[in-house]
Amino acid sequence: MQIEADTRSIPALPKHRGGAWRDVAGILLIAVAGAAGYFLFPDSLALLTRVTALAMLALSLDLVVGYCGVATLGQAALFGAGAYAAGIACVSGVTEPLSLLLIGAVAGAAAGLVMGGIMLRAHGLAQLVLSIAIVQLFHEAANKASSYTGGSDGLAGLTVGPLFGIFAFDLWGRTAYLLGVVILVAVFAALKFVVASPFGMMCRGIKEDPIRIRSMGAFVSPVLLKMFVISGAVAGTGGALAAISTQVVGLDSVSFELSANALVMLVLGGIGTLYGAIVGTIIFMAFEHVVSAINPFHWMTMVGALLIAVVIAAPRGLGGLVARLWTPSRHGERP
Amino acid sequence: MVEKKLLGAALGALLLGTVAASADTIKVGIIGPFSGPFALQGKNFQAGVEAFMALNGKSVKGHDVEIIYRDLPAANPAQSRALAQELVVKDKVQYLGGVYFTPDAMAITPLLKQANTPLVIFNAATSAIMNTSPLVVRTSFTTAQTTTPLGKVAVDRGIKKVITAVSDYGPGVDAEVAFKKAFEAAGGQVVEAIRMPLNTNDFSPIMQRVRDSKADAVFAFLPSGPTTLGFVKAYNETGLRQAGIKFLAPGDLTQESDLPALGDGALGLLTSFHYAVAHDSPENKTFVDAASKAIGSPEQLSFPAVGAYDGMNVIYKMMEATDGKQDAEKAVAAVKGLSWTSPRGPVSIDPETRHVTQNIYLREVAKDSAGKAYNKEIETFANQKDPGLAAP
Amino acid sequence: MQTAFSIAIDALAYGMALFIICIGLSLTMGLMRVVNLAHGAFAMIAGYIASYAVRDLGTNYGVAILLAMAGTIAVSIPLERFLYRRIYGAPQLTQVLMTIGITFCVIGITNYFFGPTLKTIPLPGFLSQPVDLGFRSVAAHRLFVMACGAVVALGLWFLIEKTAFGIRLRATVDNAPISEALGIRTQVVYAIAFAVAMGLAAFGGVVGAEFLPIEPYYALRYMVTFLVVVSVGGAGSIPGALIACLVLGAVDTTARYLMPEFGNFFFYAAVIAIVWVFPRGLLGRAH
Repeated sequence: MQIEADTRSIPALPKHRGGAWRDVAGILLIAVAGAAGYFLFPDSLALLTRVTALAMLALSLDLVVGYCGVATLGQAALFGAGAYAAGIACVSGVTEPLSLLLIGAVAGAAAGLVMGGIMLRAHGLAQLVLSIAIVQLFHEAANKASSYTGGSDGLAGLTVGPLFGIFAFDLWGRTAYLLGVVILVAVFAALKFVVASPFGMMCRGIKEDPIRIRSMGAFVSPVLLKMFVISGAVAGTGGALAAISTQVVGLDSVSFELSANALVMLVLGGIGTLYGAIVGTIIFMAFEHVVSAINPFHWMTMVGALLIAVVIAAPRGLGGLVARLWTPSRHGERP
Repeated sequence: MVEKKLLGAALGALLLGTVAASADTIKVGIIGPFSGPFALQGKNFQAGVEAFMALNGKSVKGHDVEIIYRDLPAANPAQSRALAQELVVKDKVQYLGGVYFTPDAMAITPLLKQANTPLVIFNAATSAIMNTSPLVVRTSFTTAQTTTPLGKVAVDRGIKKVITAVSDYGPGVDAEVAFKKAFEAAGGQVVEAIRMPLNTNDFSPIMQRVRDSKADAVFAFLPSGPTTLGFVKAYNETGLRQAGIKFLAPGDLTQESDLPALGDGALGLLTSFHYAVAHDSPENKTFVDAASKAIGSPEQLSFPAVGAYDGMNVIYKMMEATDGKQDAEKAVAAVKGLSWTSPRGPVSIDPETRHVTQNIYLREVAKDSAGKAYNKEIETFANQKDPGLAAP
Repeated sequence: MQTAFSIAIDALAYGMALFIICIGLSLTMGLMRVVNLAHGAFAMIAGYIASYAVRDLGTNYGVAILLAMAGTIAVSIPLERFLYRRIYGAPQLTQVLMTIGITFCVIGITNYFFGPTLKTIPLPGFLSQPVDLGFRSVAAHRLFVMACGAVVALGLWFLIEKTAFGIRLRATVDNAPISEALGIRTQVVYAIAFAVAMGLAAFGGVVGAEFLPIEPYYALRYMVTFLVVVSVGGAGSIPGALIACLVLGAVDTTARYLMPEFGNFFFYAAVIAIVWVFPRGLLGRAH
């Protein structure tokens, strides 16, 4: 069985003229939305910071799922690698936030290399299972190495220094949120560039038809592995951001549950566009936050109903729905 | 369609809720696992809080008390911090309470000073939390506190060699260390220490090891919930009970809400804990009646409820001391050394550690006249502090 | 030697319990191509029905199993008609979204109506007795689980390989449009296959409840185990699932005996090793 994305929604052809402008507009839109979040919800910035960190995880997931056709339920391994690397570095004396983000990115990339190296061996369902096994092993390792990671009690006591020596990470979380938004926009812009590059096109080509790409004389696995490393760096940055803003790293950051949640958010938003990752994360988190505040006891039913409703109303994800509403004529169908 | 209607109703409820809060209201934010795999424990938090407010009124010195519940289904420090931050900054709570898991508490404590908010922990049972902020008070227990008396109990009962089998995570390791220390200090010998993965479903191989170890007794720690069922079942089915191997554990393993599922297999198990629903005192009877009403079905009542009940008592005392003003240091200072009679027996807040000093009871699972299993208290270890904090 | 035998028996019982619970999922994933993450939710529903039947209605264990299967299938029919039918042939990730949604709903609703406590299904007297095997005693229900596993495996093999329905099912799976053209009512075939899978989930949930206790979070708690076991065996392959369950059950049990503190490492290392050697699962077919 081949687990793969809904290829119908993704134009495999090169972009139309003006695609670059659309990307610039999209990036601006995200930046504006980020700024709007700051002014509209000044009291919920810790939540919004969490959203930016998880959006990074969903973006990294989109790179492998949406652009390479590799299904994974283990993406949190990369996120957690970044979070723990940043956390351990911070506890051992590196307190400068940007260095911590860099450390997280490097650790995530390294974990991506390992994970990609193992996963690309298999296909379809087996690949999915490898990803689960890897994230579980990471989880076990983090639990076992409790002298470094704090185990199930969490790695606490991260005292992150102020950003640029001025802006402290405090109760209100303004620094953390603005840092998160800036990093997210920067990462998003960089990724748009990556996926539009010849390398990004190659990944899409492999996803559509690996045999043809191979017969064209290209090496498939190294290309995908490279994407895995990039994905790892993005996830690791997200993990480091979460570690910096929370000041505690828990085992949940390397869990199957987080991986599955990220996949749900991504599919909810729509895969293979990068926008979907962000839209899906925001909608899922916001919905969960609102319904769980209204009824802390039985909100899970509502989230389940949302997922079912989305599949029925917009099988290609909410992002796909939006894209269809925006450009109805191009696909020759009306919503 | 149905979803839309529900969502509309839900949004409406949210808007109404924010409008209804009046000026002179003290808000308390309670964070706990109200859904997900630990929903039972969260439900007990709520039962304890509601029982206390039903018995002691919904206002303190003329200030109305409003509770805001926030769900944190599993250990997740990032979410914990986000919830606490929002409760403090947006909902303007003056007190934080609840918290089931250690890492979640660790994520909140760095905020307390700036937030000028005390945190009263209803459960999270790792000793180290108390050192992370002077604004934390705890009304539950620590694993070391409930475990330590078992060392002496074992030796008193002529047990010389024990094998420990604990779940392989923070609290399990705490229990293993605390038991080994107490048991060896009393002259016993731990012949083997097993750590079992948390997601173990079949415990027969573990029981085989217990048998091979030739120990007189097995000391076990498992988090309350489904795995305890498998463990107790395996203990019975592999014939360890018939072979005369004793069973010792902290009371998480025989929490009252799990007893009906454990059935006859649990009879005779020895556990040590700070609270049994069957504790015989007028205070406890009042509490159990009120909490049973709050939780709906009395058989779901368990130890987190008493932690929450006493936690609310501490929060009310804080409110009295500060008279509705937000002053975390004053509030915490007011409850240092506070002592009262809890449903679990006499308790006090240690002024040094801000952790609860309490009796630990040795209990045996027995059947009452109606054939219902309960934890029968057979020995009392009075005024136990947290040994985990006493000797760092 | 005696210890080795003893461990082998435990391993066999655990493996068979896994097999009974997972085989229904293997069928939905392999034959119907639906990644049904809500599989555990149906097993759990069955557990609740059986628990209710035995404890509150006082029926005997066998009747409770039948009631649970019938009840679960009854619940699943409208779900199949209105929800699952939309995702046949849809991309797997869409199926994941839908079935996780269903799982969340079932968990939430169960928690709401039945509360968060454990529910047990009392065994009849003869199954709760220990049976003496000479070198050790073993609980009778473990032998019962082993027997059930064998019966299910043989019965399914017969159904799929030897009956007219099996032929239609395989034809539909291989090429639905052509089968339709040949006069096979594929919708009906799918509906029946779905019902069979749900019946198996129900049977597994009840019989396996001694290993995986019934509570509201059941479906998510064991989701990983189910997915891993089915995929290692190769979705849709009955012998594959059987071998996978026995091998993984043996690895799990042995590791937990020899080095419990690293039990999970061995389990997942074994999973990685097997998938490394058999990239399509033990007996999975290439598509």
